[in-house]
Amino acid sequence: MNEKQTEQKVTLATKDLHAWFDDFHAVKGISVEYPEKTINAVIGPSGCGKSTYLRCLNRIHEEVPGAKASGEVSLLGQNIYAPHVDPVELRRNIGMVFQKPNPFPNMTIFENVVIGLKLQGYSKKSYLLEVAEHCLKKAALWEEVKDKLNRPGTSLSGGQQQRLCIARALAVNPPVLLMDEPTSALDPIASAKIEELMTELKKEFTVIVVTHNMQQAARIADYTSFLVLGELIEHGLSSQIFTNPKEQKTEDYVTGRFG
Amino acid sequence: MSYLQYRKLKNILFLGSLYMSALIALLPLFLILQYLILKGATSLNLDFFLHDPSPVGEAGGGMRHAIVGTLYMVGIGSLISVPIGLLCGIYLAEFGRGKTAKILRFTIDMLTGIPSIIIGIFAYILIVAPLQSFSALAGGFALSIIILPIVTRSTEEILKLVPTHIREAGLALGLPRWRVIFQIIVKGNFKSLITGIMLAVSRAAGETAPLLFTAFGNMYLNFQISEPMASLPVQIYTYAISPFDQWQEQAWAAAFVLITIVLGINLVSRALVNNKMIIGQSKRVINHTRLIRKKKGN
Ligand SMILES: Nc1ncnc2c1ncn2[C@@H]1O[C@H](COP(=O)(O)OP(=O)(O)OP(=O)(O)O)[C@@H](O)[C@H]1O
Ligand SMILES: [Mg+2]
Repeated sequence: MNEKQTEQKVTLATKDLHAWFDDFHAVKGISVEYPEKTINAVIGPSGCGKSTYLRCLNRIHEEVPGAKASGEVSLLGQNIYAPHVDPVELRRNIGMVFQKPNPFPNMTIFENVVIGLKLQGYSKKSYLLEVAEHCLKKAALWEEVKDKLNRPGTSLSGGQQQRLCIARALAVNPPVLLMDEPTSALDPIASAKIEELMTELKKEFTVIVVTHNMQQAARIADYTSFLVLGELIEHGLSSQIFTNPKEQKTEDYVTGRFG
Repeated sequence: MSYLQYRKLKNILFLGSLYMSALIALLPLFLILQYLILKGATSLNLDFFLHDPSPVGEAGGGMRHAIVGTLYMVGIGSLISVPIGLLCGIYLAEFGRGKTAKILRFTIDMLTGIPSIIIGIFAYILIVAPLQSFSALAGGFALSIIILPIVTRSTEEILKLVPTHIREAGLALGLPRWRVIFQIIVKGNFKSLITGIMLAVSRAAGETAPLLFTAFGNMYLNFQISEPMASLPVQIYTYAISPFDQWQEQAWAAAFVLITIVLGINLVSRALVNNKMIIGQSKRVINHTRLIRKKKGN
């Protein structure tokens, strides 16, 4: 496995990444590399800055009033925090599924899925419908919504909305996908399908997923990072983090004694 | 009396007072409508809409000129203030954190509080005095000042209700901010925004004071923007205090027409917005099912 790590291309890498909400220092100097075609889990106790960290990776964090970030995040070798980088362009290459499902309330299920494509200029209905079906199938939602694509996205249940948001993120085909607790509102069957999806996506893309579910991280993630109070405690192969952690804190957390 | 009975009694008293307040709030509207229908609708005839006033003492005549005038000047006012108000409201809701926004918000609030007669004087000084003539332009301008703060504030309040995570969802898809604002936030709340605009427009349609020394009034039909123009409220005012029975009757009729226009603007706009949505959606349903069927056939 270690050999593999060295020959793999790095898709995304953070270097001394810090994030603040006004004076509150939420992420404290995280440096991690994410190789291409991997699933990477971020774990840690509630409030430790996992979401904030993830939101720095597509520069959505800076949209919060008073929030700022410093350090480096490089996507395929290019620092996305460099002054000439347009965050709008950047975000097209990094899909995101938020912790709370957030479908567009004024749009139908169908429109929700294809909105990204539509606003990029694709308008052929048959093509959009094909993409919608494809993405909804991947997000394990198609069977439940295929007869009501014209109902508002918000008419779905919470878990269905989350899968709708996953489908929406997939539709623009981003090489990097950030997922913030995508399965926390889902039943085991839907969760399993999403895990399957991530494993599927891994063939082409890089996935970074925040999760509170240790088993899930151990099952699907190639690498796992463990955060406490905004600091990176340990990062490594999941097999190592979950069976043979170097840090005492990590061991306590993954065995359920702390957190 | 047991505790349960006491609690039930309290409940009944509370509910009762709620219903009473609701009734009291509804009462004025119903009384006004009843009066207007009794007095106004009975003085109404076709001539009222088709003719301008006849000379004093002669029977007949109508208020075509004032109906046209009101619509004309409200039109001017809306043309000026609806776009500006919408943009100001969007600015306040989406970017309204800095000092500029604070000042703008304060100014808009002040504007809401200015008595309408003073707005009339302002328009007089600004437009009537330099041009040395009462005009529809001055009237429309005065009405635009009434419309502006209402549209701005209603837009701001409506857009502020949209939760931030909806905006973030749009940004995360790689949409530029303006697209998120116009194609997701504004489009998604189109209906409520229209309702806010209509509220402002119908407020302006009923104003008398700003028109008294701006558009002044006219006994003839006028389409010239630079000339004095009649309006329903001013016409009602003039006719209602006149000593002629016929004019007073026509004032009632005018009041009835005015309130019909105001309520009509509201109802029609709501219906239009609703209809458009329903038609648009049913079309989409058909398209989808056809496409799905076609695909299955393949
Ligand atoms: N908008 C905000 N303004 C100020 N502080 C915030 C904001 N959002 C989060 N924080 C703070 O930043 C810290 C990290 O929050 P974050 O949401 O990243 O935690 P998390 O690890 O994702 O937690 P959870 O597992 O509960 O989702 C928390 O202490 C939180 O209070
Ligand atoms: Mg979180």
